[in-house]
Amino acid sequence: MSFDWKSYTPVIIPDIPNLHEIDVYTNNGGYESLKKVLSNDWDPEKVINEVKAANIRGRGGAGFNAGLKWSFMPKPDGGPRYLACNGDESEPGTFKDRKIFEYNPHLFIEGALIAAYAMQCSAIYVYIRGEYYSWIKMMEKALKDAYDKGFIGKNILGSGFDVEFHVTGGAGAYICGEETSMLESLEGKRGYPRVKPPFPAQKGLWGRPTTINNIETLSCVPLVIKNGADWFTGIGAETHPGPVLYGISGHVNRPGVYELPTGMPILTLIEEVAGGMRNGKKLKGIIPGGSSTPILRGDALEGVNMDADSLREAGSMMGTAGMIVMDEDTDMVEMLWRISHFYHHESCGQCTPCREGTGWLEKILLKIRNGDGEIRDLELLIDLCSQMEGRTICALADAAAWPVRYTIDRFRDEFEARCKKSTYALA
Amino acid sequence: MPEIFIDGERYEFEGKPKLLQFILDNGKEVPFFCYHPEMSAPANCRQCYVKVGTPVQNRETGEYELDENGERVIRWFPKMQTSCSMEMTDGMVVHTQETSEEVARAQKDTMELILINHPLDCPICDQAGECPLQIQTYKYGPEGSRFEVKKVHKPKRVELGPRVTLDAERCINCTRCVRFTEEISGTHQLTISSRGDKNYPITAPGMEFDDPYSLNTVDICPVGALTSTDFRFKARVWEMNQTPSIDITGGKGTNVDLWTRDNLVLRLTPRYNKNVNTHWMPDEARQAYRKFNENRISRPSIKADGDNQIKTSWNNAIETFAEKLESVKPADVMVLGSAHASVEENYSLMKLFSTWGVNDFHFSPDVKDGFGDNFLLTDDQAPNTNGVKALGFNEISTDDLKTAIKSAKVIVLLNDELVDRGVLGSEDLEKPFVISLATNETETSKSTDLVIPITCIAEHAASYVNVEGRIQRSLPAKETKYTHRKMDLEMSEGRLDRYGTNFDNWVNEDNKIDCTPTWELMNNLAKRLGLSVQFGSSREIMDEIASSVSTFEGVSFERMDDENGIQLTGITKEEVSA
Repeated sequence: MSFDWKSYTPVIIPDIPNLHEIDVYTNNGGYESLKKVLSNDWDPEKVINEVKAANIRGRGGAGFNAGLKWSFMPKPDGGPRYLACNGDESEPGTFKDRKIFEYNPHLFIEGALIAAYAMQCSAIYVYIRGEYYSWIKMMEKALKDAYDKGFIGKNILGSGFDVEFHVTGGAGAYICGEETSMLESLEGKRGYPRVKPPFPAQKGLWGRPTTINNIETLSCVPLVIKNGADWFTGIGAETHPGPVLYGISGHVNRPGVYELPTGMPILTLIEEVAGGMRNGKKLKGIIPGGSSTPILRGDALEGVNMDADSLREAGSMMGTAGMIVMDEDTDMVEMLWRISHFYHHESCGQCTPCREGTGWLEKILLKIRNGDGEIRDLELLIDLCSQMEGRTICALADAAAWPVRYTIDRFRDEFEARCKKSTYALA
Repeated sequence: MPEIFIDGERYEFEGKPKLLQFILDNGKEVPFFCYHPEMSAPANCRQCYVKVGTPVQNRETGEYELDENGERVIRWFPKMQTSCSMEMTDGMVVHTQETSEEVARAQKDTMELILINHPLDCPICDQAGECPLQIQTYKYGPEGSRFEVKKVHKPKRVELGPRVTLDAERCINCTRCVRFTEEISGTHQLTISSRGDKNYPITAPGMEFDDPYSLNTVDICPVGALTSTDFRFKARVWEMNQTPSIDITGGKGTNVDLWTRDNLVLRLTPRYNKNVNTHWMPDEARQAYRKFNENRISRPSIKADGDNQIKTSWNNAIETFAEKLESVKPADVMVLGSAHASVEENYSLMKLFSTWGVNDFHFSPDVKDGFGDNFLLTDDQAPNTNGVKALGFNEISTDDLKTAIKSAKVIVLLNDELVDRGVLGSEDLEKPFVISLATNETETSKSTDLVIPITCIAEHAASYVNVEGRIQRSLPAKETKYTHRKMDLEMSEGRLDRYGTNFDNWVNEDNKIDCTPTWELMNNLAKRLGLSVQFGSSREIMDEIASSVSTFEGVSFERMDDENGIQLTGITKEEVSA
């Protein structure tokens, strides 16, 4: 891709000082999109169609068209309807929403308000992970300012549209980033994912129609309303358009969050955007979109771009675009054990395959890491992955199984080198 | 009517049943742990996997699309589905483990995972023998385990409350107990603590699991994680005989099973009856088993020199009984029936004494206001209030009773603890000659002049009418000195009775009570008094009642057995259950 990333001007987190202050935000064209949709000629239907046309694919990991998701909401029946914004951001390697909370909270608030208007929601909940304590506080301040200016509350900007906006902090559970367990958590219950169907659009928060969107997804909405769907689809990859926040971490010289179009070549991101490998080491592998997405070998990244289609071809996923870069010194066994430890620790314990499987995976990997593993343990690991994938209520079991399956598959030599020769086969 | 194809067989269905329940209702089997028909389906054990597909329909015409063989084109769900949460739709095609290798494999996989952190301590586990995990592992589980690392350790012997003990390591996190306190008893006392493979059910810190229905969680626990503190380590399941019966501690008539070994009742568990108690019973009712074993009166006793009761022979007891009656006029005899005794007992008493000349029959109702909870506990503390009323016994208030006693010379008292429950004081019984027919040694029996032991509900077949006018019967579970398990067709057989040698069974004559059913006592008394009253078995007495008392028309033991109790039409419901 011959795209000159240096000429790209960020729009989600633009380079404007003190943009988190509401006055700065409004002086720079903030809340204009909200005013635009609340004026007479934009009915909710039109907003949904515009967003659908922009093909904003959910930035929380699933990559589902946001406008299409909105259109699943049933017709208003007079009862409450909710928009729940997922700022739990618990996937390891992901730290993009926090930049929005910090640098451009009003863009997200505006997007959420437009979404609430499009779906005729009566209240918006934003769920922010508990560790982001200062950003929860910042969000509370930003909401208060927006309330004071009349962007939230009763009869917003004289349009007759009412909506309430609440902030809730999480308590540190990974599983609460799963949309239905986030709803449970919002209701004040233990974060257990719900059985679907019924889907949240039919029965969500407190049994009422609810749509759940990622913070970054909603932040794209005001830009789409302001510049039009065509502008948005013109950015980045054709099937997965728009600006995206790449969170690059690991063994690079300049780790950080970078706003760039989708479809960036992975090697360009590492070599140019993130300043190249630390200490001039060789690239060994990357995890493209948060710890649960399958790892890619460093020597197989030529021509692979950061968009859903290209990554699927390469055998991985876009996820949250939180890329973890590993250099040649990385011990893949250690790395995989650490990831498995995370999923073992975070499994909610509701479904059998995940509750028991995550622990078993970790224990076997620990054994291999300590030099007590045997070749047959690798077969058992792969077998266990098949026993977990697609067998649970939510996708945590898949998220725990994929790294194991693909890391062993793609770095098998390293695992075998750590294992003793099996003395007998496992039944 | 909508149709569904399960393992190639066609079934019709109405409404929106859930797939698992429908499969079970049709006599097929799919293994499951977390599902319970009375509670919501959380689909968390992932055991009841089936393969599900729906026929492809033409969007415009709604007609089924057919393949080249003329068969419907089926669109299979990409993943296997948990049948407990699956809603059935018209034309659905289902494969269970019987016809799908894939499903059988998935079920085996889940079972392997469930078992890895389970302690597998069946030899010392109370649940062994009636354990869904054990049974289904034998049927659907893997042959061995590939788990070679350390199991998770969790708290053991946790006293959740006064009656329930938890072994968290055995728990498979089906959340049945948690859902029970949320959805059935409504106390919300249990929750799951911790995450992942470390989680287990527990109360909030500092709180006790003292739910009045807490022991039901022990029944529904599919493993041995929750055990009854009272019953644990007392008996293996296969050593006991299980006999269907009725709870007599309240007016609801909760259906129960009596579990006996060595002629002692060791525990009571609820027995399913969709019209009465479904799957549940109150904790209090489970304590009733003690009354069947402890403080039982064996052999008659008579008051001699002062206040001391001494044991006497049956002949002497009947002789004394008859002499006392013959020494007074029928009008001087007061006969008190009992709502704590069965229909047959009250009837035989009433029939004998009315033949002898007594006209008035009374009973003292046992009602505690405000005790009921609109679920299984009722204000009425007696199991048969409606039954005695229907037979023609009149309710008598405490004051009237005290006055009436003063003028009576002989009082015949059928099993009712009048002194213990505060209706009478023992001084009230001092003046007249009191003959009590009783099961247990109580303050009441101690204050009487002649005590004749009678069988309790665990020893006879007899019927009781609950507060809603439902007549249900018990079966004998325990032998008396005069009955024998192998001779009495109504007595249940346990595994050891059926398959064991004489040396396998627990035999101890000490636990057989020297008592007799009320109707047999009445037979003996009638013979002595020269009355032409004769009773056969309780089954025959019920047939006689059915033909002579209008309320009981059409009632028989056979019908009660077939229909799981009969709703009597002549009795209005005093309380309507929630």
